[in-house]
Amino acid sequence: MAADPARSPEPERTPPPEEAVPPASAPDDVLRVEHIAKRFGPVTALRDVNLHLKKGEVLGLLGDNGAGKSTLIKIISGFQKQDSGRIFLNGQPYEPKSVDDARAKGVDTVYQDLALIDELSVYHNLFLRRERTLRPLPLLNNREMKREARRALDEIGINIPRIDVSVARLSGGQRQAIAVARTVNSASDIILLDEPLAAMGAKEGAQILDLVARLKEEGRVSIVMILHNYVQVFQACDRVSMIQDGAIVLDKPTAETSVEELTEIVVNEYRRAREAAHASEASVESPPAPA
Amino acid sequence: MASVAQQPASPGPGGPGGSAQARRALPGWRAIGARVITLREGSIIVIALVTAIYFSANTSTFLTGENFETLLPYFAPFAILAAGEVFVMILGEIDLSIAGMYLFAPIIFYKLNTSVGLPLVPSVIVALIVCMAVGAINGIFVAVLGLSSFVVTLGMLFAFEGLSLIISKGTPVATPGGQPPLGTFGKVFGGGTYSELIWAVAIVVILQVALTFTRWGLYTVAIGSNKLGAAEAGVRVNLVMIRNFMLCALTAGLVGIFEAVRSATVQPNPAGPNEILLLAIAAAVVGGTLLTGGSGTVVGALIGALFLGILKDGLILQGVQATYLLFYTGLAVIVAMTANVFVGRVRRGQTGGG
Repeated sequence: MAADPARSPEPERTPPPEEAVPPASAPDDVLRVEHIAKRFGPVTALRDVNLHLKKGEVLGLLGDNGAGKSTLIKIISGFQKQDSGRIFLNGQPYEPKSVDDARAKGVDTVYQDLALIDELSVYHNLFLRRERTLRPLPLLNNREMKREARRALDEIGINIPRIDVSVARLSGGQRQAIAVARTVNSASDIILLDEPLAAMGAKEGAQILDLVARLKEEGRVSIVMILHNYVQVFQACDRVSMIQDGAIVLDKPTAETSVEELTEIVVNEYRRAREAAHASEASVESPPAPA
Repeated sequence: MASVAQQPASPGPGGPGGSAQARRALPGWRAIGARVITLREGSIIVIALVTAIYFSANTSTFLTGENFETLLPYFAPFAILAAGEVFVMILGEIDLSIAGMYLFAPIIFYKLNTSVGLPLVPSVIVALIVCMAVGAINGIFVAVLGLSSFVVTLGMLFAFEGLSLIISKGTPVATPGGQPPLGTFGKVFGGGTYSELIWAVAIVVILQVALTFTRWGLYTVAIGSNKLGAAEAGVRVNLVMIRNFMLCALTAGLVGIFEAVRSATVQPNPAGPNEILLLAIAAAVVGGTLLTGGSGTVVGALIGALFLGILKDGLILQGVQATYLLFYTGLAVIVAMTANVFVGRVRRGQTGGG
């Protein structure tokens, strides 16, 4: 890991490499990600990622498994640190030291692996790390948390019959709904949703998409959402970015693209990779060099 | 908990709603029984009661004030030890080094008082701080370096039992402040008849409140249930884990000093503490704390310790030979655990939708 450019005092902005889509920075961007790279040992998760998000916008993030979507989300949410590249929040350099720090700066995340705690009740999960206490006593104000949890769930239209049972008792969709509700409830400016529709039935998925649509109407929060289903992208998102092989290969408003175009990019990439693999297999007779 | 069950049924008559209705339909005493059994401590309460009733009926001496005093040292120290251990066990970890702290703390206390010349109470405080430092080291090894708590604390157990032997040169000595006639210090720190009981109840109440009603307790459960999830939610996992190991070492050192005062001797022999360690863990698991983490109760540990104490005391009163005691204790632990698992299944089936 070389010196971290994010830490060096105002480095010159390096020109974007040819293959990457240049960062289309606009003054009303609430979040701007520039040339983020991240390696895990020999594996390059992110090569060069540029991303931007306008206020009140819903951005769909697409990409195959292992393309680096989740890594990107984890970096923005403060759970991991990039090797190089910079992030700006409302035009200011943004270097979250932890998940708590990111949250304090208004960036909150719902993770793919659902950071729910099975043994804790619904309302304790909703308030995890934001517990209400009976000040000045350090004791939990369970009554207030229950009341507010009930109100928050009703407000966003999620039906959970009982909020004092442990979340282990809930269905996959209900759990996801609570994870989303937890973030929505947090009064953050930017919400990152890592596959919010995984493990959901059609009806529950529609509930979450409705919730996202409602948030979009309010216009208060901006959302980055990792999705797999292209149809859902067109239902819920204003714009779509596609990651392939650790870099953004497409960045367009959903109105200007189509399921066909997205599919074609993926298929082309697959063909190209396969041909490349065939070509190297055919040409290389000597023993393969160590990676 | 009760208030929510009485709310008008919200739309969507799922499984939980149905079971709540079924429970309301139960007649009075069965409802109480059902409520007790839905407690995490339910099965051990029932088992301890049944055991106590059995011995009351079969011996004339069990239900006497005199016997209660005999019973105290059979459970109060274990309750305190188990209370600290519960905080580590809920994390899904274990602390075997408590026997080392139990042995080491009174020796440090003795040295500080006699060799350094520190007064009694400051000697106790410094000895306990030393224990907490060892606990912090345990926690750092487990949380930060990611070592198995079983292995780390096993090593610490041997190391500190060894260190106790080295420092004491293997010789028992008279406990400062523990010699008759007992002063205030001796009476408060384990020498008084009810001293350990009062400490045990106070510690159990405080730690149960901490576990159920503070962020610390919530995060302890969260880490034991889903460590990665807790970290992603922003819980400072390492800090909580280190703190819990420190607590566990603190309670162990405290009990070590109590027992040294009560017996008037600082014993460097590790045999006793090793048995005490295992009984404390038995009290915690019998009381309803999972070895796998994510769930536990301090009050349950107290009742678990009480159950083991009643059993030992009752068997002695019945005239069971001393050589049989350990054997019966072993059977009792297995029976109690089986009941725990069985009742746990009933509990989940009764209150859960799935």
